Amino acid sequence: MAPVTTKQPGHSPVRLSEEQQLLRDAVRVLADERIAPRAADIDRTATWPEDVRRLLADHDVFAIPFEERHGGLGADLLTLCLAIEQISRQCATSGLILAVQALGAIPIQVAGTPEQQDRWLPGLASGEKLIAFGLTEADAGSDPSGIRTRAVRDGDEYVIDGTKRFISHGSVADYVIVFAATNPDAERSSRRLSAILVETDRPGFKVTRVEHKMGIRGSPTAELAFDGVRVPVGNRLGDEGQGFAIAMQTFERSRPGIAAQAVGIAQGALEVAAAYAKERRQFGKPIAELQMIQAMLADMDAATEAARHLLYTACEEIESGDADAARWAAICKLVAGDAAMRVTTDAVQVLGGYGYIDDYPVERMMRDAKITQLYEGTQQIQRLIVARSLLAGS
Amino acid sequence: MRIVVLTKPVPDPAAGAERLGPDHRLDRAASPTVINGNDEYALEAALQLVEAHGGEVVVLTMAPANGTETIRKALAMGAQRGILVTDEALAGADLPTTIRVLAAAVAAEPFDLVLGGLDTSDGAGGAVTAGVAARLGLPLLSAAGAIEPDPAAGRVRVHRLSARGYDLVEAPMPAVISCTQALGAPRYPSLKGIMAARSREIAIRSLADLGPDLAPAGGAWATAVLVADLPPARAAGRVVSGPAPDTAREIADFLVARRII
Amino acid sequence: MAAAILAVAEVADGALTKLSTEVATLARALADAAGGTAMGLVVDAAPDVAAGQLAAFVPRVIAVTSPALTSEVAAPHVAGEIVRLLAEGVTHVVMGATTDGRDVAGTLVGMTGLGLLANADEASWAGEGPLIRSSVLGGKAVTSSALTAGSGLITLRPGGVTAGEAGATGAVESREPAAPAGPVATVLDRVAEAGAAVSLEDAHVVVVGGRGVGSAEGFAVVEELADLLGGVAGATRASVDAGWVPYSRQIGQTGRVVKPGLYLGLGVSGAMQHRVGMQGSEVIVAVNRDQDAPIAEVADLFVLGDLFEVGPALVAELRARRGG
Repeated sequence: MAPVTTKQPGHSPVRLSEEQQLLRDAVRVLADERIAPRAADIDRTATWPEDVRRLLADHDVFAIPFEERHGGLGADLLTLCLAIEQISRQCATSGLILAVQALGAIPIQVAGTPEQQDRWLPGLASGEKLIAFGLTEADAGSDPSGIRTRAVRDGDEYVIDGTKRFISHGSVADYVIVFAATNPDAERSSRRLSAILVETDRPGFKVTRVEHKMGIRGSPTAELAFDGVRVPVGNRLGDEGQGFAIAMQTFERSRPGIAAQAVGIAQGALEVAAAYAKERRQFGKPIAELQMIQAMLADMDAATEAARHLLYTACEEIESGDADAARWAAICKLVAGDAAMRVTTDAVQVLGGYGYIDDYPVERMMRDAKITQLYEGTQQIQRLIVARSLLAGS
Repeated sequence: MRIVVLTKPVPDPAAGAERLGPDHRLDRAASPTVINGNDEYALEAALQLVEAHGGEVVVLTMAPANGTETIRKALAMGAQRGILVTDEALAGADLPTTIRVLAAAVAAEPFDLVLGGLDTSDGAGGAVTAGVAARLGLPLLSAAGAIEPDPAAGRVRVHRLSARGYDLVEAPMPAVISCTQALGAPRYPSLKGIMAARSREIAIRSLADLGPDLAPAGGAWATAVLVADLPPARAAGRVVSGPAPDTAREIADFLVARRII
Repeated sequence: MAAAILAVAEVADGALTKLSTEVATLARALADAAGGTAMGLVVDAAPDVAAGQLAAFVPRVIAVTSPALTSEVAAPHVAGEIVRLLAEGVTHVVMGATTDGRDVAGTLVGMTGLGLLANADEASWAGEGPLIRSSVLGGKAVTSSALTAGSGLITLRPGGVTAGEAGATGAVESREPAAPAGPVATVLDRVAEAGAAVSLEDAHVVVVGGRGVGSAEGFAVVEELADLLGGVAGATRASVDAGWVPYSRQIGQTGRVVKPGLYLGLGVSGAMQHRVGMQGSEVIVAVNRDQDAPIAEVADLFVLGDLFEVGPALVAELRARRGG
């Protein structure tokens, strides 16, 4: 297979600082040299890549979104997204390892006490511990009011009963942030839930199912059963009833990570398609000289570039505390997810029959891209958020 | 242990973009620079030795002013500080001058070991490290596949790679060692290393800082490149395919025709 | 000052190396062209056999019996001899571009400031001094270089010069060892590693196993073909990094450079790293499943196929032609 181009994206109205460029380039090297050779196998065997997890830990990649006092790099949201993008360019499963770790840590970062942060964040920053975000249930996807998992106060403990579904990293995590109803009869449904960190070695916790998925097949997506799991009250993040707000706050910072994954997948697919078009000859010339191919590639490039710049801008706005952070998070995830699906589908098209077989990575990239339109809020939910923000002013 | 590692920025061989300029000298702006391959192995070996025995790794480079880039990469891998010797008078410097300059810069530092790559991908004279040892009056242990210092005894042992395997070679420290790939793959810089490297010191030295009479006046080098050509093109070969017994026969016929068998 | 060209010989297993015969041939050719003299130098614990062999190539051989070389590295001793000879009128020194040769060259440059024309593929005498041609930058360019002074050093790559005897036998003089050129490291032991490739540069046929070989066991077919063709098995960096063969087998930019009569690559992609080490081969044959493998660009015969099918089939074919 012909070598891919080595275009370096990042020439954007958002000027990357020297530090951001250095970190991005370092992650890119790791992705190109150590992760890329593993990507096809991770997908084919649908196996959690512990070696990639070790690689990210050993090179301080997990440390990116954590503060220095917790052993992190103290880098900003854009830097985290740059890293997720570079990894996802080669392997969406691997990019997700960083994204999910960052996601799971956010509730601790925004709602945890200093003591809680000191207790849990260093292990996450070093990559020694993994964390999962336990919100979704079988009957509660887009609509969190369907959450049935209960956390009942008993002395200085909570007793947790219920089942979570579709939890990324649920079967490999050391900690799960469980969103459980502590006030099931609260007047406002947004006050029902609390966020509680559950260590997965507690009795009563069980992984009851791991899904077989269309894409990101190396990432374990699990069903988690909580049967009388007892945790200290000190494991609750924020106040009782603050769970829903914490989840919404979390998404503001985590959705760009998914957008970054999507942009990375799109970029990877674009590069494969462009390289292929230059080598593949039909009708006496490289297909890259055919206008319909050029049009497709151009549209793919434009879509990826646009998604990228929107993502970078969103990161800056969210990081600077913009009042409409929710809208920025939703809009960048919406655009990037749709771009990834479109670009990867077109990449398969450019490769024709060869795009359909696993000799080339684009069929995997297309399968991987789909999830970016589904998780951390479906595209439909993102649209509701964008519309609400747009129409609120009037 | 205090270890000085000689590193040279070279055009990235993987990028394949090296070329000679109109003066037949390497056009160092033409392609991205990286640390010379064998120097990276030397650097990795030095980092491991200091991790095991304590001490400091200092990276020393003679290069144009942009040589700080590759020194930063070495600092990101874990070297404690760097020294760049840069001077317009050294542009296109020949081997004797390079050796004199590097030796003078090394001599100004405290060290137990000087490590250098066996040769470089862009010059491949393979003589610099040996020349520096000679200038410094120190023992040379070359073609190292393994390095085993004994700081307490003040001696170092090296596996000197040979056609047969290796010779176990020993000398008192301070000593100079030229390094091979067999020492082990260099680490990728960690992100924390990259961040820390930004605040680590790179000292800049000019010829004047190092002493008199290190370079001939007016760029009167000992050797001159007169001509640079493209290599002669190889005639296009034949491609055959098919079932194995047939292609094997084709190969055998070909070897007979070329009088190899 | 008349040119006096010194050929520095290397000894392996008591005998002259093939590269040393090429070095000596070149020294004689340069001396003839310059209207000067050529001589050879052998420094060894037991130099007589090699000195006698060297005398077939140059009119005068200096044989230095140096017992120290049984337990010390050679380069400072050899450099010390050359320094003495330079003081006695030698103007140019030619050495093989081997690890030892480069150590000697570097030591001499450090001590004397003489210029070095390194890695010559060919050399000639042009007017006032030697002119060398050298392939540089991984084969991207070929440069012609000269000394700017009346004396200097040359290192010669294997396979560039065809060795040719002088026709008359030269005189061999014995000399006592000179002082070594600086402190000398001690050789405590010489360790032979299983699978080390002794004579890659000297081999007329080199059969190389690349990434496609897949395992240490897979190398058996490479070894077998090397045997059948009277050659030596080599490896690419990928095979060495994977641990299938020792580093001494590696051919390429960070390994050994070979210029055999036949290079046969099995499962070798032909990345530039490796091509640098073998593209001077006279005849290149490659077997690979990938029709886009870069080795196809330099192969005289490229076989699109699986080395584990073609290899054994070739073994059978060669045996059949051998009649048994």
